[in-house]
Amino acid sequence: MNKVFLIGAAGTAYGKSNLTARDLSMLASKHAIENAGIKPQDIQASFVANAFGMAEKQGHLGPLLMSSLGIPHAPSSTIEAACCSGGSAFREAYVNVASGFYDVMLITGTEKVSHLDTLTATTYFAYGGDYLFEGCSGASFPGLYAAMARAHMHEYGTTEEELAAVAVKNHNNGMFNEKAHLQKKITVDDVLKSPVVADPLKLFDACPFSDGAAAAIIASEEFMNRNGLEKKISIKGSGRSGGSGSLHTREDMSSLESTIRASREALGQAGISVKDLDFAEVHDCFTIAEIIAMEDLGIFEKGQASKAVVEGRTAINGEIPINPSGGLKSKGHPVGATGVGQIVEVFDQLTGNSGKRQVNDARIGLTHNVGATGGSCAVHIFERE
Amino acid sequence: MSVSYWRLRDRYYRIIGSICDSCTYESFPKFNTCPKCKSHDISDKEMPNTGKIISYTLSYESMPGFEHELPMSIGLIKLDNGVNIVSQLVDSEVEDIKINATVKAVFRKINADGNSGQIYYGYKFKVINA
Ligand SMILES: CC(C)(COP(=O)(O)OP(=O)(O)OC[C@H]1O[C@@H](n2cnc3c(N)ncnc32)[C@H](O)[C@@H]1OP(=O)(O)O)[C@@H](O)C(=O)NCCC(=O)NCCS
Ligand SMILES: [Zn+2]
Repeated sequence: MNKVFLIGAAGTAYGKSNLTARDLSMLASKHAIENAGIKPQDIQASFVANAFGMAEKQGHLGPLLMSSLGIPHAPSSTIEAACCSGGSAFREAYVNVASGFYDVMLITGTEKVSHLDTLTATTYFAYGGDYLFEGCSGASFPGLYAAMARAHMHEYGTTEEELAAVAVKNHNNGMFNEKAHLQKKITVDDVLKSPVVADPLKLFDACPFSDGAAAAIIASEEFMNRNGLEKKISIKGSGRSGGSGSLHTREDMSSLESTIRASREALGQAGISVKDLDFAEVHDCFTIAEIIAMEDLGIFEKGQASKAVVEGRTAINGEIPINPSGGLKSKGHPVGATGVGQIVEVFDQLTGNSGKRQVNDARIGLTHNVGATGGSCAVHIFERE
Repeated sequence: MSVSYWRLRDRYYRIIGSICDSCTYESFPKFNTCPKCKSHDISDKEMPNTGKIISYTLSYESMPGFEHELPMSIGLIKLDNGVNIVSQLVDSEVEDIKINATVKAVFRKINADGNSGQIYYGYKFKVINA
């Protein structure tokens, strides 16, 4: 496999936007091309990550995006893997460039859902899970993650206060991210007193419905050498796994097998252990998801991650900063954009452009992106050259 | 959801899953190849109608058609043959809904297409021994 570099990445602000997913995707892509220092015509192909295009009556975004960049001939298709669409699109592009088929690819994730009412948005999200056998029984995504939270609490004694500490930490980080959706400092008490969504999960345990886009550009070593471009960040590992598409068909309700498999694949390729990571952007669609992610990635033992959060070990100045961007919880979760947006955060961190949320001397970063209740997972590892 | 619901009605009416004829692995909903031994010799199998709660939630967020039932209890249930299922929990006191409580399937109206449209029936579960 050829060496592949992350050469540019940029995102729009996340939150409620008046723009379409199409316009958002153009803004993020244009910005990523600028900071990669290449021309649009250098891009040979693209993948778009967009899960709910039909909520805006617009599928097949790729050709529209390519045309707006002046390269209508460049092939572009949508990769959909629910909330893991972004990470999956990045993975497929990585495979194309690492295999030598293409030299330069653009990956753009975009989503627009804020025009939907809560019930409609919740329903669209549920289409990404086992809709007929879980959604139609009344279980929304918050409901399914609540069942996972309850199982984790039962098995390991995890408490609602510990879950709340994840939200407090991520909101703290998001305060330093001017592109975050919810830039608001909160306390454990605020979380515990926020309205219950699906017991034991409350409003402040959940990520919001966000609009936004993020884009990344990757290139082969040969392209970099040919054009005399500075190699700043290399992709050290790419892991991707499927898992049970339903929650109920899983063996263990407090663990995601797809995270375990994808992360071991990526770590194996990188030839490192989780101890070598300087920070990680993990998929915290709910506070419990960040706890389970840290345990499945192997950063903490099962049942220990929530204690580590309370002790501040995952804060920006802690031993292993988790979600310095604010995570899905505070930065927001524009579904198709999310996995690519995690990579934008890694790009900013590894190039020293994260301002007040900069992780000290960040050299190796990991992204972890999950679809539904674990049906899809993508893990990537990046290193500063 | 009418077309797929009708096509899948036996799985909703009687909880029909699959059994692997070579290794006896059972699962719900139906499967085509055994996830355990990869055999293709699969038969339909009616799942047991009792089990235990392995996790649950009291949800204040609705899915389409459940707006008037909020908050609603949803259970993750391990049936007596070890197969899991997600179902609404009805006719049960909220304090009786806990991990390890015994539950039994009941046949209920699940949803409807508007006021005069098709009505969907299927399984829900209730606590019989808290
Ligand atoms: C929790 C949830 C139902 C709230 O949605 P909603 O009821 O439509 O919320 P609204 O947009 O009406 O917002 C109401 C208020 O709560 C705030 N808010 C919304 N979601 C929030 C969240 N997750 N955390 C904190 N505050 C939130 C809004 O800013 C707004 O505040 P304001 O009135 O001061 O402006 C929704 O965010 C949700 O379901 N999130 C989970 C999404 C999900 O399942 N993702 C997939 C994971 S796999
Ligand atoms: Zn078998």
